[in-house]
Amino acid sequence: MLATDRVTGTQVQLMMTCLCDTFFDSVAQATVEVLEHVGCTVEVPEAQTCCGQPAFNSGDWDSTRKVARHTCRTFDSSKPTILPSGSCSHMISHGYDLAFEKEDDLSTAQTFAKSSWELCDFLVNGLGIESWPGRFDAKISLHRSCHTRGTQTYQSAVKLLSSIEGVELIEFDESEQCCGFGGTFSVAYPNTSVSMGKLKIEKLTADKPDIVGAVDMACMMHLSGIANKQGRQFNKLHVSEILMKALRNAK
Amino acid sequence: MNKSEFFKPIEDAVNLIPDSKRTPLPDWDLETIRTTQMPSDTDRDALWDAFKTRFDLVHGKCTEGRADLLSLLKEESVTAGYVAPELKADLKPWLQQSGIEIHTSLDDSQIDTYEFGITRAAGVIAETGTIILKDQSTSSRLGALSPWIHIAVLPDDAPIYPTLFDAMNDLGNDPYIVFATGPSKTADVEGILIEGVHGPGIQICSRMKSRH
Amino acid sequence: MKTKQPIDAFARDLPPEIRESVYVGSKAKYDKRLDSLTQSFAAPDDIRKLAGQIKQHTLENLPEYLGSAIEKLEGNGAKVHYAKTGDDANQIILDIMRSVNATKLIKSKSMVSEEIHLNKFLEKNGCESIESDLGEFIVQLDDDMPSHIVTPIVHKNRKQIANTFEKAGLGDYNDDPQTITRRARSFLRNKYIEAEVGLTGGNFVSAETGRIALVTNEGNARFCISANKTHIALIGIEKVVPRDKDLAVLLNLLARSATGQQLTVYTQFINGPKSEAQPDGPENMHVIFLDNERSNILGSEFKEILRCIRCGACLNVCPIYRQSSGHAYRAVYPGPVGAVLSPLLAGKRYPEYADLPKASSLCGACNEVCPVDIPLPELLLRHRNKAKREGIKKASAGTPSMAGWSVLCSTPAMWKTSLRAGKAMDYISLNLIPVPAVQAWAKERSLPPFRGGKFRKWFKDRQKNK
Repeated sequence: MLATDRVTGTQVQLMMTCLCDTFFDSVAQATVEVLEHVGCTVEVPEAQTCCGQPAFNSGDWDSTRKVARHTCRTFDSSKPTILPSGSCSHMISHGYDLAFEKEDDLSTAQTFAKSSWELCDFLVNGLGIESWPGRFDAKISLHRSCHTRGTQTYQSAVKLLSSIEGVELIEFDESEQCCGFGGTFSVAYPNTSVSMGKLKIEKLTADKPDIVGAVDMACMMHLSGIANKQGRQFNKLHVSEILMKALRNAK
Repeated sequence: MNKSEFFKPIEDAVNLIPDSKRTPLPDWDLETIRTTQMPSDTDRDALWDAFKTRFDLVHGKCTEGRADLLSLLKEESVTAGYVAPELKADLKPWLQQSGIEIHTSLDDSQIDTYEFGITRAAGVIAETGTIILKDQSTSSRLGALSPWIHIAVLPDDAPIYPTLFDAMNDLGNDPYIVFATGPSKTADVEGILIEGVHGPGIQICSRMKSRH
Repeated sequence: MKTKQPIDAFARDLPPEIRESVYVGSKAKYDKRLDSLTQSFAAPDDIRKLAGQIKQHTLENLPEYLGSAIEKLEGNGAKVHYAKTGDDANQIILDIMRSVNATKLIKSKSMVSEEIHLNKFLEKNGCESIESDLGEFIVQLDDDMPSHIVTPIVHKNRKQIANTFEKAGLGDYNDDPQTITRRARSFLRNKYIEAEVGLTGGNFVSAETGRIALVTNEGNARFCISANKTHIALIGIEKVVPRDKDLAVLLNLLARSATGQQLTVYTQFINGPKSEAQPDGPENMHVIFLDNERSNILGSEFKEILRCIRCGACLNVCPIYRQSSGHAYRAVYPGPVGAVLSPLLAGKRYPEYADLPKASSLCGACNEVCPVDIPLPELLLRHRNKAKREGIKKASAGTPSMAGWSVLCSTPAMWKTSLRAGKAMDYISLNLIPVPAVQAWAKERSLPPFRGGKFRKWFKDRQKNK
């Protein structure tokens, strides 16, 4: 394990995120398998719901705090909490600071934030894993997912994926550009949001990858939702699913 | 509005910031902003060469000595231009002998009659390919600005600063200083580069030995 | 698609050729910026952070630094004026013009002068005020608005400009960019010579020496302080930096961030009227420091926006700006910086602009390119929160209410019930659900199949079988 000022260890809690709770159970499953593979014991606190981001981004910080307080109560800050989402983990590590700025329980929120990790960040910087075993034969274009800016998530995902035998990460144009989801932005700005998504799909699929990968299912839900309506399909996988598939191929 | 009324809300605003949240003035030096363009050799000839390389990249032209300058002027088929008074003794007779009409004072109402302007540079910057013009060494702002061709003469006693940082630390107290990094340009129309918008379309730096 | 947000509607209705111009221009500037920073510096992010600290420190100690700059400028013979509002600044400029019997003013590019609508004010008062930056000149001929901080006519193509020139009597139709530029050169030269007063902005002011740093590529700001005898520099109070040497950091970043140049072609330093021996240039120098809501911003949770050095990098990278263009933002400063700044500069008219901070997916690209590391997404979020607290409808239009949702998300039993109930979604066409947010989603996007609670069950079973 590495020197870090965040809470780490192998007794971990999974925060599956509301999107995996409602739509993407396969991602939460893969996350559990990946964590167990590296020797973690995983708990899934039953009372968990959402990190509070939809309200936060909408400007409703009272509602945000209501949900965030519930989340802080639900998880044990003495153990690491792992999220298969760059966006939700960014919400907890940065958004809570802002939402609780003037609150008495700021330190509670910050204590929880110190124990929360995005999956790839945790594997690389929490557990010190440098490479991933197994095999996965695919050309992958990996969407950066904007909320990973300023965090170690994207670099960690690239490090792990590029170490897998058979994986080819391909470069694509405008990788710094957002997919257009943006939470409630996607419904408040439907025209702009969809135009951005169409452009992103074009760039991500320009070199005909076998897989479009992401470190966040929110971006993916938006992009595949657009592609679906257009009658275009692409294979999409969350990074945890790629890691899990590589493991299975090793067996 | 008087100064103290104007300052009051500004003072009130900064007084709201708790001491614990104040940002200290960062300490930094040349190393902090080191660029890959920074010349490593500080010998004058090496610095001139470094300057030439950078100046060329910003579409400036360098000449060394009189013959070089004259051939460049001939190439541009100039017939009349402005020479700053302090360079008059050096340059006027020689240029006139070559058949070029020389003015040593500038008439505002006739600025388009001067096809070129020759003025003195206060120095150059090697790192960025920049000519430094100061009021004290450039006796006419318009002479260095309005003609299509501007020739900045770099005398032997004018500094070649290795970096922008060095030049910034030696600005002195001249009321007006211009760093000119290439010819005047715009990309306002469809992003297409056009040189010579309001200022010179051709920017020359001419290294010359002082005769006096 | 139907939308309640004006910027989204503007993006929807934007003519494709304008979107294309904006997109191509933005992308080109973004690419050049990245190349020039990474080619020059080993760690460009460290320099951005340094520049941010320098500006933040100055703002937090503004009375001291601004006071010092004023003292130096006055010591060098400049007259300093104080404008609380835009109207005050306009009046001061008019008074200065009248004091020297001037009716003609030539202007170098200045965002602050746009902010206070100086041209219109001077024209109303019988004075001529001519823009000399090529882009701004074309904007003025068209009675248009700049759509970008650095490249004001990025929304126009050469054909439109050629038409404008023809209408303005600047020669027959010709859409060659070189010809357009030469015609402007020749027209504006006479204006420089005729004008009694030259007005410039100021990119930075050094507190140490009072030196005003001013950058242009075209050379127009040089002309504005060469042929005329009176120079007015109109400068926002936030432009101060502590020392001359700090200018080296900021100048190293400004041009690279704006256009990918290592330095702007002309960087000028002015710290007073011309010396006696110099035949050209202003004998009178007036410096107007403008507040116009800046001291209010300084005392607010938005103070970091005052670090801005107007490079336009946040516009160029912003996906929403690229889709909607600068005019969508209905104000002088577009893009992410405008979305933060414009509502604040509007003062009491804040609610009119409260929708601007919604024009962001909060992707954070703007912060990543900002040469002074302004936490733009955070400031956008603070605006959204402010609008919510103040109940401003313009901001909330189109965004579903979160109150009920927050109850759901903080009551696990309700959450789990809804995980079961949500299953119904798989059997109903989304288009039939009369919720505006669902409609806005579903028109061009499908939803994945609802699988609420599946993981929870899988995990429980797995634990049992272990």
